[in-house]
Amino acid sequence: MWLSAVRGLVPVRRTLRIGVTGLARSGKTVLLTSLAANLLAAGAGLPALPAVTARLAGRGFRVAPAPGGAADLPRFDTTSQLAALARDPPAWPGRTRAVSMLELDLEIGHAGLLAALPPQRVRLQILDYPGEWLLDLPLLGLGFGAWSAGLLRRLEKRQEATEFLGFMRAIPARPAADDALARSGHRRYRVLLRSLRDEAGLSALQPGRFLMPPPGGEPPWMEFFPFAGEGPLADLLRARYDAYVADVRAQLMAPAFGQVDRLVVLVDLLSALHAGQAAFADATAALGEVAEALRWSGPTLLPDWLAAILGFGITRVAFAASKADHVAERQRGNLAALAAAVTRLPMPRGLATAAFAVAGVRCTEDVVWTLDGHPVSAVRGRVVGAERAGRSWPGEVPDKPPGPEFWAHPFLALPDFEPMRLPLGGKGGVPNVNLDALLAFLLEDVL
Amino acid sequence: MKGPPVAPRFELEDRPMARMEPEPLPVAEEPRGGMGSAALLASGVAVLVLGLAVLGVANFVADQFARSAVLGWVTLGVAATGFGLLGAGVRRELKGLFALTTVDRIRAGLESGEPRRIAAAARAWLEELPDGATLLPTLRTLNDPDAVLALLQARVATELQQRADALGRTAAMQVFAATAAVPSPALDALLVGWRGARLVRQIAELHGLRPGLLGTLALLRRTAMAAAGVAATEAAINAAARAALSNPLLQHLAGDVAGAGVAARRMVVLARAAAAACNPLPPART
Repeated sequence: MWLSAVRGLVPVRRTLRIGVTGLARSGKTVLLTSLAANLLAAGAGLPALPAVTARLAGRGFRVAPAPGGAADLPRFDTTSQLAALARDPPAWPGRTRAVSMLELDLEIGHAGLLAALPPQRVRLQILDYPGEWLLDLPLLGLGFGAWSAGLLRRLEKRQEATEFLGFMRAIPARPAADDALARSGHRRYRVLLRSLRDEAGLSALQPGRFLMPPPGGEPPWMEFFPFAGEGPLADLLRARYDAYVADVRAQLMAPAFGQVDRLVVLVDLLSALHAGQAAFADATAALGEVAEALRWSGPTLLPDWLAAILGFGITRVAFAASKADHVAERQRGNLAALAAAVTRLPMPRGLATAAFAVAGVRCTEDVVWTLDGHPVSAVRGRVVGAERAGRSWPGEVPDKPPGPEFWAHPFLALPDFEPMRLPLGGKGGVPNVNLDALLAFLLEDVL
Repeated sequence: MKGPPVAPRFELEDRPMARMEPEPLPVAEEPRGGMGSAALLASGVAVLVLGLAVLGVANFVADQFARSAVLGWVTLGVAATGFGLLGAGVRRELKGLFALTTVDRIRAGLESGEPRRIAAAARAWLEELPDGATLLPTLRTLNDPDAVLALLQARVATELQQRADALGRTAAMQVFAATAAVPSPALDALLVGWRGARLVRQIAELHGLRPGLLGTLALLRRTAMAAAGVAATEAAINAAARAALSNPLLQHLAGDVAGAGVAARRMVVLARAAAAACNPLPPART
């Protein structure tokens, strides 16, 4: 903290990278759009982020989109995402299919006698990417053999994998490096991944690009599948796997998570609670795996606690449960506690952590609803396409990973609510839940 | 005892609903500033320096009394005079600094729209001004707040403005001439800075303020803020700067000394900005 404060006095722009780890449909794109819109509104003097404004205590605060320069990565298109949310009827962002970078330049004034110094300049970088690709990060620490063995062991318990496992058993011992065989296995494995995602609601599905291919044609090294045997075919698949992992390192790890200073573990717990016990366990395990993979990504050889004190590597981790506007205010404390509990990791000393229940875009208001003679805190919002209000009581949110008794009463699927109207068409910020608290925590030592 | 959990439920209401509007955002309450780290450090250093100096002098006085009563009394007299002068200086600085808040108070009174507050603020201002007492009898005869403001505008503000402009023109000519004579650009900057600070103090004194060092610093800060509003009167400033430099010799020099005209013009702007910062009349009326 003190080191960061001293660094703020040096008139050199500092770059802060915030890594957002979120599985597919967890709300990353909406969160980034809302973060950008609210920061820009707060920089224009509007009360879009009260906790940040309170922290600034009257000091100057200016925010502008960073100039593009000759950057490698496409820019995150805040304007069109915001326009889609602002128009009537509004539209939610579709599935993210490619990587893009949100970059904002912040100028933060000093207080007291130091106000005469030039303002602290910070460039905030946050990457948006297809959530499916996040599951590729754990592959960086795994060889082809270990990955295949672990995966095939897990698939043996799944009904959906019967056909694929039958195909695997039909492959002879020490098969030749046959391209057609590799292609056939790859195709079958992709079909299996899709059915595990769409029918079983699972999240921990690797490799992520098999589910969400990158734009453009697929290179030949994409055509592999998990294989535990030996021989020329295994060598071919291993070489392709290694090429895939190298590409993950270059395309995702290096630009987004290579030098992350802050980490947001974003998780859609409410949907996971609805999807059932197996899907919930699978989603939380996947997030744990990803967060664990990021721990060794730090650039330093120092012990974790010393690196945290000196401000190297990840110094702040926020566990954020998304779509928090789908439960009433009274339940959000439990939701935040659950987010922290399911992603429990061995944290080094000196690392600041906090849990939040957030919604990038707010869609509902709280209402008291009497059900079966009991008043409950429910939410009410305009349902997409129906042009009528819907009331939702999804069930009690547990404050820790739920036991078997919880799954006896299925959690309600999240209704598709419409975003609230955006003040000044988005220029006045985006109505949200607790985004200001999340930002104030992530940027506490900078603000 | 806790009853069975209420089963999850979703229900569509019958009536159509317009798109939801966000609640008005709460205006964040900014915490009171309190002392910043730098202020704490400066206060600590001041307390240590002053406290230890007092203790050291007290010990010394006690030692002198031990040697001889006469020596002790003389030393005590010297110490008391020295600390007394220091105290008087500090008091004057603080008084000069707090005098600036008087301008804010009078301005709030004049802008309030309440006849009594306007009259009281006008009286307070006239009492502060060097020649203000002569207008007090006229002020007492006025009941209408608009008449009070008109009197201040016609008899006080206009004259103050003219005198401030005259001070600005004098400073502009001096800076112009000196810039032409000074051989080094670094000395130019020093000269312009010194003359600017002196001009601000002169204008403050014209408005009945006697700012010390701290008061001048605070006034310079206010003047910088007032300069944005003054920039709107660009044409008037250009005319004033031209008038100040209408001497044929100066015009001849202006051709040779690049930057001297700019520095002189800045003095005119500074005079206007300082007058705006010291003048409690609402801007629309000045």
